[in-house]
Order: sequence, then C-alpha cells, then structure tokens
Amino acid sequence: MECRFVPSVCSYCGTGCGILFEVINDKVVGTLPMKTHPVNEGKLCIKGWNLHEHINSFMRLKDPLVKTFGRFIKTDWDEAIQITADRFREIIEEYGPDSIGVLVSAKITNEENYLGQKFARAVIGTNNVDHCARL
Amino acid sequence: MNDRVKRWLKDGTIDIFLGYKMVEGHPLPHCFTPKRLEEVDDLIVGQARYSLEKMATHISVEKPGIKIGMLARDCNQRALNVLYIWNQLEPENIRTININCCPSNLKEHGDCSYLEPETSGQYKKQVGLDNTADTKTLESMDSKERLARWMYEFQKCIKCYGCRNICPVCFCKECSLEHEELIGTGVLPPEVPIFHLVRAVHMAGRCIDCGLCEDACPADIPLRLLYQKVNEIVVDVFGYETGTNTGQAPFSILGDKVTLEPKPLSAG
Repeated sequence: MECRFVPSVCSYCGTGCGILFEVINDKVVGTLPMKTHPVNEGKLCIKGWNLHEHINSFMRLKDPLVKTFGRFIKTDWDEAIQITADRFREIIEEYGPDSIGVLVSAKITNEENYLGQKFARAVIGTNNVDHCARL
Repeated sequence: MNDRVKRWLKDGTIDIFLGYKMVEGHPLPHCFTPKRLEEVDDLIVGQARYSLEKMATHISVEKPGIKIGMLARDCNQRALNVLYIWNQLEPENIRTININCCPSNLKEHGDCSYLEPETSGQYKKQVGLDNTADTKTLESMDSKERLARWMYEFQKCIKCYGCRNICPVCFCKECSLEHEELIGTGVLPPEVPIFHLVRAVHMAGRCIDCGLCEDACPADIPLRLLYQKVNEIVVDVFGYETGTNTGQAPFSILGDKVTLEPKPLSAG
C-alpha cells in the first residue's frame, strides 16, 4: 500500500492555487486545496476540486491521431509530425503564414508555452498566438 | 508520540500511519510506512488540519482490512465515530493518537488552523451574517430579516462543491446535490436556498461541527452556523449528540446494522 500526498499548483488558470493530490497506489484519486498556501488559503473552485479527473479520464488522448478520409487513425509521433509539417508548408505556400494560428495551453509549462510562441513567430511567421488562460 | 508510532509500525499493530510532515514549509498530511521508519522522526501535529479520516476511508476502499493509525484531533475523533456508525470504517482497523485541540476546560483556544475564525467585514455584518455569531443571536432576529440575511449569504455561492468534497462525513455514493431534478445544472448561483438547505438537512446527525466546510468555502458562507442549528434540533428531538459516541444513530433503521457501502473511488 503506497499512499502519498503531492503538493502542486492548479493548472487551470493563472491564479495559481496550491493543491494537494491524493495518490493511492500510484493512482491520483483526489485533489484537495492546500490549507497553508498563500494564494488560495485552503479554498478551491469547482475546476480545481476536479483537477485529478482529466488524468484518469478514459477520453484522454494517449496517441497522436491523424484524420484520414474523415476518420481519426492512430499513428506514431514521427509520422504525425511529418504529416503536420507537410500540410503546414502547403498551407503557408498557398494562403500565407497568417492563415495559421497557434493556441497554447495552461496545461503545459511556461517553457513549453514559450516554445509555442517561438514556433509561431520564427518558424511559421505569424503573430497569431493565443492562450486558453488569458483571463 | 513518535516512539509510539514507530513501535506500532514495527510490531505490525498498524500497516500505515497518517500524520503530518513539513514539506517545503507547508505542514502537509503524510503517510508513514514501516518501510521508511526513519521518516517518523519528522512526524508533527501541525497547525493545518486536513480530514485524515476521509483519506483513511479512501485507503480502506482500495485495500479493505488495512490497519491504519492516525493522529486524531477532537474533530477527527468525532468524525471517526460517525464513520464507524455508518459502516465506512471498521473501529478495529483504526488506531488513533489523540490530541486535544479544540478549546476545552484546560485551555481556551484551539490549536488548529481554525483557531481564530476570520472576523467578518462591516458590510457582511450589516447585510449578511457574522460567521462567528451563534444560533441564539440569530434567533433573536425576526424571521424576515433572518431569511434576507441567509439569502444574501447563499447567493454568493459559486457551487464549487468544496463544502461537500472536504466534509469528512460526506460519503454517499450518489449525492443529492448532483441530482439533476433537485438541483438544476449550469446556473450560478445554484438554486438558492435549496442547494444549501438540502445539504443542511443531510447534515442532521452527521455533522460533527469541525468547520472544514466553512474553512473551504471561497464565498465565506457561514455553513458551520447553519449546520449547528440543524444539529441543535437533533439534540432537542432525539437527545443525540453527533460524533460523541459510536452508538446507533437515530437516523438508522431501528435495530438494523448499518450496511451502507463505502463510496467507491472515482478514478477509473
């Protein structure tokens, strides 16, 4: 029996509430507000309270999917990235770089978000970058 | 305290011990095991208060029959009594180290994070309710004023379900607060005062007055006060003081042993 309490920060919005994951046998079974955290002082909103659910969700994507003839087909990362790169190139050549936008996420790290905007500006050549937690 | 826990873990009295440990400056709940006995030296009581008994119920769902030791403040102890009555934990599987934390004859103040409830602001006192008020003060107001004040408090609700989630004695498999026909979905505030009153009614004979719900409420609704009143009625009608003993509750069917199943863990 392994039971751990892992402190973390809520990844839903920019507030940064302190949370505590309840992990039993390496399975995240619950989220609690961290009582002593200076930001939320033991309180959470409904999204924070259910933060562990997307980890265990059966709807969570675990493989890259490529839409082929209207259906999503499982593939490996190399192929998925190659297909994406080829299509990006085609679209940029035909409609220009501003026809592409990049949406980054609160569920990835600050550094990954940085890479996202760098990719948009330096590789694609557009300023169309946005973020889901731009509250 | 630490020696006793070490001894228990070593001789197999308990399989795990739930207590607190300082992690990066925060007193956090921690699960001590016989494998890492040296950690027990870091065991503290801590100022912050988490519902260790609720975690114990989760652990017992995952591994029935596991022997759990835990630090038990007065409120934890009361919650454990209620959980024994409602068949969520087996008393023979739980060993506690009791800590007097609430104010008592010996000391005036509690030792937990709820030590001094935050004082309510002027506006809240004027149109809403002071969280530190008692039921007597409230009853001295006429019913119209009371209703208006409660409605002010209830309409602040952001429906986070924090009060239910943190509650050590909320363990129903199906929660009325998630019942679509009782509580409509997708509107804020939730249907007031139904949302809060449904919960209040369910707290009769369950609530052990630990104050965790109020502590977790982002809208600062005086929930503890509400449930105190509910339990006053339980004392008046049944002479039953919730959580003080493990005898049969007036809310169970006469003579029947409670066979409620523990709430399953939601993780798939």
